[in-house]
Amino acid sequence: MKVALHLNGAQTEIEVRADDSLLDALRARDLRGCRLTCGIGLCGACTVLLDGQPVATCLLLAPLAEGRAVTTIEGLEGDDALQHAFVEYSAFQCGYCTPGMILTARALLDETPHPTDEEIRHALAGNLCRCGCYPKIVSAVRSAATASERGRREPDP
Amino acid sequence: MSLSQRATRLRQRVASVHDERVTGAIRYSIDMEAPGMLHARMVRSPYPHATVDAIDLSALPDGVVALTGADIADLEPGFGPLLEDQPVVARDRVRHIGDIVVAVAAASDREAAAAAEAVLIDYTPLPGVFDLRAASRPGGPLVHETFAISDNEANIVGLRPLADTNVCHRFQLLAGRGEAGFDEAEVVVEETYRVAATAHASMEPHAALAWWDEDGRLVVISGNQAPFVNRQALAKLFRLPEDRVRMVVAPMGGSFGAKIFMRLEPIVAALARKAGRPVRAVLTREEEFLTLNRHPAEIVIRLGARRDGTLVAKEVRSWWDTGAYADAGPSVAQKGAVSAIGPYRIPHVAVESLCVYTNRPPNGALRGYGATQGVWASERCMDTLAEGLGMDPLELRLMNLLHEGDRFATGETMHDLQLEACLRRAAEAVEWGAGRRGKGLSVLMKMMQTPSRTSAALEVDARGHFVLRSATTEMGQRSTITQRRLAAEALGAPLEMVEVGRNDTDLVPFDTRTTSSRSTHMMSFAIASAAEQLKERMAEVIGAPGQPLRFGKGRVWTEAAPERSTPLTALAGLRGDGEYRSQGGIDPDTGQGIASSEWHQGAAAAEVAVDAETGLCTITRLHAAVYAGRVVDRAGAELQNEGSMVMGVGSALFEQLVYDDGQLTTTNMSDFNVPSFLDVPLLTHDLLEVPGTPPHGLGETAVPPVPPAIGNALATLGYDLRDLPMTPETILAGERSA
Repeated sequence: MKVALHLNGAQTEIEVRADDSLLDALRARDLRGCRLTCGIGLCGACTVLLDGQPVATCLLLAPLAEGRAVTTIEGLEGDDALQHAFVEYSAFQCGYCTPGMILTARALLDETPHPTDEEIRHALAGNLCRCGCYPKIVSAVRSAATASERGRREPDP
Repeated sequence: MSLSQRATRLRQRVASVHDERVTGAIRYSIDMEAPGMLHARMVRSPYPHATVDAIDLSALPDGVVALTGADIADLEPGFGPLLEDQPVVARDRVRHIGDIVVAVAAASDREAAAAAEAVLIDYTPLPGVFDLRAASRPGGPLVHETFAISDNEANIVGLRPLADTNVCHRFQLLAGRGEAGFDEAEVVVEETYRVAATAHASMEPHAALAWWDEDGRLVVISGNQAPFVNRQALAKLFRLPEDRVRMVVAPMGGSFGAKIFMRLEPIVAALARKAGRPVRAVLTREEEFLTLNRHPAEIVIRLGARRDGTLVAKEVRSWWDTGAYADAGPSVAQKGAVSAIGPYRIPHVAVESLCVYTNRPPNGALRGYGATQGVWASERCMDTLAEGLGMDPLELRLMNLLHEGDRFATGETMHDLQLEACLRRAAEAVEWGAGRRGKGLSVLMKMMQTPSRTSAALEVDARGHFVLRSATTEMGQRSTITQRRLAAEALGAPLEMVEVGRNDTDLVPFDTRTTSSRSTHMMSFAIASAAEQLKERMAEVIGAPGQPLRFGKGRVWTEAAPERSTPLTALAGLRGDGEYRSQGGIDPDTGQGIASSEWHQGAAAAEVAVDAETGLCTITRLHAAVYAGRVVDRAGAELQNEGSMVMGVGSALFEQLVYDDGQLTTTNMSDFNVPSFLDVPLLTHDLLEVPGTPPHGLGETAVPPVPPAIGNALATLGYDLRDLPMTPETILAGERSA
């Protein structure tokens, strides 16, 4: 079946099976930044933004994306303030969970531009990092929250 | 998009991030593909121990390739780094739930999964081996009737299997008068400690892709930490010369020891041979829990001291459940038991450690490599002794710590010791002097793979770049940037002139493996000598033999004549090679020798609070102090410390695989919990550097001290725990009635 969606800023039609997960459908389009880990929607590695909200694509059937806006890590094109901050703060090791982490944090910052550390930790609690980069991820998100809209981080006070 | 919007985007793209981990562009082994590739799925045993009586493949659709024991008759009977005990697929018997009986390959993963469901297998269940102590004695059921000791370079253990038992390795150590030395003790404590199995739970599962090229050469792409010993093992298994096998290592989405020795590689290679096409396998999360985990262990410690706190004698007896296939088990059991001696001067020591086969899924290396289990027992016991003596646990440790020049129980003379500095820093971080209630300490030393050898090469390529050829595998520990820095330093060249080449056994020189926090330390020497050789050759070619060289902007010149520079492109093809070997090893019957050419050293301190009604333990402070020698990559070193502490918290408080005999009841990441943002307290840590020392391994030093620091802190609140993990239930059960 065909599913029409707004994918990374472009109106797109994708061919899927009714029982394909959105994760399968995106990876089949070579959007490999969303990745399978737990398969039960609790680790966050397969996160994308669906109309701006983080969702676990391993549990979302692809046809349910009909008419919705889907943003994957590739849609940020390396320009997001969070991507700059993750590099600057070395907020990752193996990188497998990083796209999901950044997208979840993007949704947080869109709703709460200046979160407290506690708000950051709660918002990201559904994204697991087995390498244990949590302290540096909190620093990176905090820093991105203070960065300018042009994607450049301002110096720490 | 308007023109101005487009222009803005264009401007931004100039400044965009290129790190492929942050853009999502990185490709792991799950992403590897080859033209005409088939997808593999496994058919696994539901029984812990059974004979395979019949396999019915009649329902498989056309085009599906199935691999059974009948297809591997021409191969070596088994593979494994220390014991060649694991068949590619079961021949006539399964030894754990999840043991692979049939592997199928089809055009898509969906078709392969359906095909796996269509395979019918008849089994006859056999009595299982689940009790470690019973399994160590003669007369019971056996998981393996023979012990096929491997001649792989990975096997440096000197295995001592016990006939007619399930013990595949017995390690013993005797120092001084051993047990007889307890006659000098005025106070003796004896406790039994148990550590549960846990899982690596790397975010990326195991995955491997293999094909046979036109010349009949086997090519394997996988995320693995030991391409050369795995190449050697694959060549032996398929009865090929080693150069007929090529291993390409993909970056790993985490490993933590799960991907050291080959697991899927033989299956995809055998399937590809039968199918005549490339075959890739990617495990499901449920399969991950059946593939390789951390050893559950039982450790009995007897510790004797004089009344003033001087340690005089220690006995360590331990049992390590290695599951149905040994993997690294014997080495884990040996190192874990040595870790349980602790970093102390003890004149009389006796150790016996048994690595035991059971009918559970295999257990192997997991970050900490036995030290997590051993240090838990050793450091909890130190606090029990301190309490018995009425001493401050810090004082007891300080008066017995090993110092420079002391002899350890292995007989080796200790060097580069920073144990006291680490311990004091940890104590300060929780304000030990301001009151001990709710606080705990621990200190450890752990081993680096010894002996081992490593080599590196530096080449000048056609673009005038330096290319480092290194078999060190990247799994997120930032080895790539670390080794680039080492190479740039050794050459005296700007970082941007140095890159790291592809990790492919056709291109890189030999390295034992990327384990035991050895790579930065060992490679620092190999890279330095490769750089020296390359610089010598370059100096000769530019007509300035023996002169110091300077590099910049793709050019080389001598200090004496900076105005006459040569483009590196003119030196393309020049190469320098370097090798470094560590010496040592210990006797498996006496424990004497050099256990580790360098000792990893660290300490941790925790402060905790417990909800007396629910048993919930909250960590209010956690600090680790780790000896770093010299830090090469600051961010990477910090990440290793922080990540190790996070993993230590998981092992301390909740991670465990639960078995009902041979059946695993924790089969997903909802049942098996790993730490999330909300489980991790504010972490602080130190990287202790000593000027003039080489880089020291630190990839896992901060894992093992965390659980005993927390356990010792809990003990001050009246919760006296001997087993890991310390869940709310066990914390409440461990409350002292006094």
